[in-house]
Amino acid sequence: MTEQRDNFLSQIRSLGELVKTETMAIEARARLLLTTPEIYGIRQIILTGSGDSFFAAVAAAPAIRAWTGLPVQPMVSMEASRYIDHGVARESGRNRGILVVALSNSGEGARVVEAATRLRAFGALTLALTANNDSRLGKACERVLNVAVPSGAPAPGTRSYVASLLGAYLLGIRIAEVLMTKTMDEANALRKELTDLSIGLSGLSEKLEPIVERTVGGWAGFHAANFIGSGPSFGTASFAAAKLVEAAGVHATPQDAEEFHHLDFFVDNPASVPAILFAPAKALSRTRAKELVDTLTMIQRPFLVATDDPDFAPADRLLLLPATSELFAPIVQTVPATLVAAFWAHAIGAKHYRGHAGLWAGAQGATIVRNSPIELD
Amino acid sequence: MVKTYKLSTDRNGLIDITPQVEAALAESGLSDGILLVSIPHSTASLTVMSPWDPLGLEDVHDEINRIVPTRIDFKHQYDTPQDASAHVKAAIVGHSRSFFFEGGKLGLGHSQKIYFWEFDGPRSRQFQIQFVGQ
Repeated sequence: MTEQRDNFLSQIRSLGELVKTETMAIEARARLLLTTPEIYGIRQIILTGSGDSFFAAVAAAPAIRAWTGLPVQPMVSMEASRYIDHGVARESGRNRGILVVALSNSGEGARVVEAATRLRAFGALTLALTANNDSRLGKACERVLNVAVPSGAPAPGTRSYVASLLGAYLLGIRIAEVLMTKTMDEANALRKELTDLSIGLSGLSEKLEPIVERTVGGWAGFHAANFIGSGPSFGTASFAAAKLVEAAGVHATPQDAEEFHHLDFFVDNPASVPAILFAPAKALSRTRAKELVDTLTMIQRPFLVATDDPDFAPADRLLLLPATSELFAPIVQTVPATLVAAFWAHAIGAKHYRGHAGLWAGAQGATIVRNSPIELD
Repeated sequence: MVKTYKLSTDRNGLIDITPQVEAALAESGLSDGILLVSIPHSTASLTVMSPWDPLGLEDVHDEINRIVPTRIDFKHQYDTPQDASAHVKAAIVGHSRSFFFEGGKLGLGHSQKIYFWEFDGPRSRQFQIQFVGQ
């Protein structure tokens, strides 16, 4: 189990270097992927995927929406494939103007391949954001933005998630630049801001590890957790919940800061359901997140707050992050999100993905997501 | 010695840089000679124009836009459509102008000012001045 934790930490600690070395390399591949007339033909952007890829879409969509001024919708691959028109193929011409960005690191998830294939046939412009150009997804789409990065030690996907985020952000910046909703100087400033996240990421894991290990160690007997965030941070909350499920097998759910007050607030035995709140200092949801800290205290939820505002929560609840704009916060939030999973799994001696053994043996080689029959009719 | 000045353009169009050029001449201590104003960019230009009617400055800019409008079918797509048209405009107008000076006074007429002409703003820009004289 120590080796498993160390592999996970190795991935987490490498994120700064990943952002530093890969951002402009991906930018170079994204720059001329779409022609200027194609970009001016975009009326709507759909970001679709499953699992981590979908969470990256959720995290990046608000930024792309803000920069481009276009309607940008993250969509799970099942909805994009079969429910976008409730199974009735619209006339091809009516789908012109839709850019479908299909995210999948492996490029082999059956449902996202199905979504890209169907939407392309219906007239959308399709772009695969994947680490494998020769994958089924790469072949199904008209364009491929390759986001392959050097692989890390075996652990629940962390580097690949950040690579997907980088690809989605850089695609959005490029579209905004060509549409001139961002000037070239502004677009380059965003690219620099993205690259410079590596500075804050450097050493961040090592700084947070003691408090996460200590706090999560005290949660080892609990069987459920909430991860909370709004806007881009909801993508992080979803990713963080997924990592805890994958690494520790603990039931974990993501929630929005507003929706928590409507729903999760009422969970029974609150003292045994920890909450991890992602709350950037400059978030548009900041005031509601502040209220949430009071709410969590009131209902006696154990909690941690990952934020770049040192005054957001008591020091013993605080995972202090480097100052970051809200739109880029998901990159930095990846560190506390994965640390919670790494140390929780270690504390309870859990094998990642239940060791792909016993009841979970069918997940070996991701066959349960790759081998689902693709329906195109 | 080349003197370099920075400016941040807040729009496309003509921006009067005559005061900076005159100040640079005064600082040089030179009395008679030639100076060259040059810009190290390929999407902006330098020109001379009358300052008296601000609408005249708009006319000049409108006309270059009429001749080379921003469109999406330029072959150069590495940057933006505005950038692509700006390259063409800058190539037509040119990136430098030279002026004589005599008795420490810049050789400009009553209706002449020196303008930095931005085609791809807002941008962080520079212009440079070199003197030859005594």
